[in-house]
Amino acid sequence: MSPETPRAKDGRAPDVFSRGGWTPMRDYALSEPVDFLIVGAGAGGATLGCRLAENGFSVVILEAGPFWRPLEDFASDELAQQTLFWTDDRLIAGDDPIALGGNNSGRGVGGSTVHYSMIALRFRPEWFKCRSQLGYGFDWPITYDDLAPYYEEAEEALKVAGPVNYPWGPPRRRYPYRPHEVNAAGLVLARGAEKLGVGWAATPLTTVSAPRGKSPPCVYRGFCNYGCSTNAKQSALTVWIPRALRAGAQVRDLAMAGRIDIDPRGRATGVEYFREGAWRFQHARNVVVAGYAIETPRLLLNSACPLFPKGLANSSGLVGTHLTTHAGPGAWATFDEAIRWYKGPPNMAVTEHWNYTDQGKDFVGGYAFMSQGPLPMAWAQTLATTRGLWGAALRDEMRKYNHMAGFVPVGETEPRAQNCVTLADDVDQYGLRIPKVIFSYSENDKRLQRHAVAFMSEMLAAAGGYDIWTNFKDTSHLLGTCRMGDDPTTSVVDADGRSWDIPNLWICDGSLFPTCGGVNPSLTIQALACRIADRISRLAATGSLASA
Amino acid sequence: MRTKPLPALAGGVVLGAVVGVVMRAVTEAQPSEKPATRSYHADKPTGLSGAAALLAASVLADSALEHYRGSFENPAMVAPLISSALTLGSSAGRIFSLSRTRPSRQKAFVLSIAVGAAGLGFHIYNVFKRPGGLSWLNLFYGAPVGAPAALSISGWLGLAAERLAAQAAPAPRFFGLPAGRVLAAFTSLALIGDVAEVALFHFRGAFQNPFMYAPLALPPIAAGLLAKAAVAPIAKTHLLTRAWLWTTFLLGMAGTGFHAYGVSRAMGGWRNWSQNLIDGPPLPAPPSFSALSVAGLAALSLIEREAHAGDRQGR
Ligand SMILES: Cc1cc2nc3c(=O)[nH]c(=O)nc-3n(C[C@H](O)[C@H](O)[C@H](O)COP(=O)(O)OP(=O)(O)OC[C@H]3O[C@@H](n4cnc5c(N)ncnc54)[C@H](O)[C@@H]3O)c2cc1C
Ligand code: SF4
Repeated sequence: MSPETPRAKDGRAPDVFSRGGWTPMRDYALSEPVDFLIVGAGAGGATLGCRLAENGFSVVILEAGPFWRPLEDFASDELAQQTLFWTDDRLIAGDDPIALGGNNSGRGVGGSTVHYSMIALRFRPEWFKCRSQLGYGFDWPITYDDLAPYYEEAEEALKVAGPVNYPWGPPRRRYPYRPHEVNAAGLVLARGAEKLGVGWAATPLTTVSAPRGKSPPCVYRGFCNYGCSTNAKQSALTVWIPRALRAGAQVRDLAMAGRIDIDPRGRATGVEYFREGAWRFQHARNVVVAGYAIETPRLLLNSACPLFPKGLANSSGLVGTHLTTHAGPGAWATFDEAIRWYKGPPNMAVTEHWNYTDQGKDFVGGYAFMSQGPLPMAWAQTLATTRGLWGAALRDEMRKYNHMAGFVPVGETEPRAQNCVTLADDVDQYGLRIPKVIFSYSENDKRLQRHAVAFMSEMLAAAGGYDIWTNFKDTSHLLGTCRMGDDPTTSVVDADGRSWDIPNLWICDGSLFPTCGGVNPSLTIQALACRIADRISRLAATGSLASA
Repeated sequence: MRTKPLPALAGGVVLGAVVGVVMRAVTEAQPSEKPATRSYHADKPTGLSGAAALLAASVLADSALEHYRGSFENPAMVAPLISSALTLGSSAGRIFSLSRTRPSRQKAFVLSIAVGAAGLGFHIYNVFKRPGGLSWLNLFYGAPVGAPAALSISGWLGLAAERLAAQAAPAPRFFGLPAGRVLAAFTSLALIGDVAEVALFHFRGAFQNPFMYAPLALPPIAAGLLAKAAVAPIAKTHLLTRAWLWTTFLLGMAGTGFHAYGVSRAMGGWRNWSQNLIDGPPLPAPPSFSALSVAGLAALSLIEREAHAGDRQGR
């Protein structure tokens, strides 16, 4: 599985629902400016591209990675599937450098959603006004109520399969599909939660529990983090991209954007990108960057020009700063009964107790945690890297694989200026300066993790687990770095994702998040994208798309 | 969609047998045109026997599939297979006047009633013992509460057929009440139970196909009409009710077709039949509606016969 020559070209794109199939696709000329040129076809870019095309704009999406057909390209093989991740060179630094790779990046049409875990949770309403209501982080320029209809839109589009009554958050419409049966690993969490008297729920997931169009229901084979080869997963690749193509958008795969061009008036005119061995230039009336929390600031910084020597959209000096991640310390235990945690999607039960309870915390922020289901290679890797097991010791520990269960939180970290993405002096295969990602935990971040690990261990014991051990190394989603806000001096873009400095430059991905909350971000990214598409259409209707 | 020849053949034989039984039963369940000349006598209540047989066949196939899926973890999971098979055999035996004796048939029916009742207890216990207790999740994925009830119902229908056969009277009675009305009321309740079960599972399937509403729309009306027939002043014809029961009968048969389509939409479709038959929508479930419709038709025949008998007695 390595189509390193572009597939989406000559008026057709791969059909993700068949082997070797094609769907027709619009072809835009390079010289003719399109309404919106989007960099990155992940959660943010694909969603926005789809909604803008459906609203009648001409849209081209550039994607650095390949355009997969899950049915024929994805193997049930952990090693073979490593090609889904962004593994280009990057430097990491700080007191707690973040390991980059499969756990936090994707490369290909669909972005990280191609191999993500499908957890679809909403933010707690107060988090949108974190500073004023909870006393930490930053306020978002929008409220929960602004986003609620778009959460609903995204959940409907992704046919989220969730509990009939989700125990946390304000009243909401029922999830479009019913919850999946909770596997044994999830029932460990359920048992423990009932013993400790906290709530639990079947995790709302974007894999279907009943047929949907050409998607068969999930078959619980557990390869979700390596690309779902059955297409039960509702990802940007299987949901937004086919819709975008139908609505007339063009997707160019294996097209690496290297630079956004700015005219003497300070407006973006298009993007230089590398495809099929040559640099090309696509003209555009608006440019949207949706490359994820590392590549988005990298592209803006790499596009520095005489007019904007500090990089684009960076008059505040904030581009690349306030990087957050979700801390993922683990607690693990052995059980007498067979758990077989590889069965089914990896995280089938969740508790958001510590997202919604503020008493009894020695930290600010929140965390949710989920039951886990690492596949053997990933598990061996965890054992080797966090416990230093090797040889016979590793083999002995691996023999317990079917009897293990454990929890990992999505732990909020504080947005701090010193955690950031900057440019290193080294260049990559395209001649572009590579990013340097600097990260350290704050004291509060550490307290949150200690709390999570203690609580999760207690719960594992309550559920009947023994030989409990913990590890503190892992992180997941990266967010922040181009935050949205109300004030040009303290944010990079406004509430519509529009750059304060360059009126036809937009950002639409996880880098918009002023704070990262204690839940997985993709649903919020997609809801934001739906909202931004709506806002853009309204601005266009009133003639306020500046350079259009 | 491609089925392997052997399973296809086996399926064909089973289906053929069941359909044969039902066809025979159904023809017997027609309104009797000349009640005076046709004495209602032993070994003739084939409509009811057909209903019992069809329901038992549905339970047999369904429990075989589901309990195989559950790896027969508990030895008791074999019980419904045996008892439903016996009820199926006994009812078929009655229809085709085979040489089984009445007491042995009766034992089979009582066994089904008992196993069904025990199963109901087990299944309810199974729902409650899971974390979360009585919750949507456990109702969706715990043992289905309605399935064992269907086994009991098949036993009751079989027994009812025996009782009818034993009563030469033109207006037979159950528990001192007119048999037709008792049976109509019973069938009406059974239909409601069946609808409740289907509602739960089609809700679990998020009604992703609009046809999934059909079994919630048509059978409740049949149940209502049957209930009306059970309590209303006695009538000689029930045209609408009959028509509706027939529609429900066809719906049950069509349901199997829809479920077969559902199986084809799972990963691998019918090529992967060995897995998808077990995980997909259950093929044997929808005919339970057909079985209950046949029982309802038999109940109407009894009511109509009583009406005619009343005429003859100058009532
Ligand atoms: C293993 C894993 C599990 C996850 N599980 C969950 C989960 O359960 N629930 C959840 O909500 N979230 C989960 N996430 C996170 C979620 O997938 C991401 O937060 C989300 O996809 C980020 O969206 P994005 O649009 O910012 O970036 P992405 O979806 O990563 O998309 C960015 C795209 O831009 C492309 N790109 C970048 N730079 C360029 C360039 N210069 N030119 C062209 N293209 C470029 C990349 O190739 C990529 O395809 C998970 C992530 C991973 C890695
Ligand atoms: S468990 Fe479900 S979502 Fe995950 S890979 Fe398998 S079919 Fe896809």
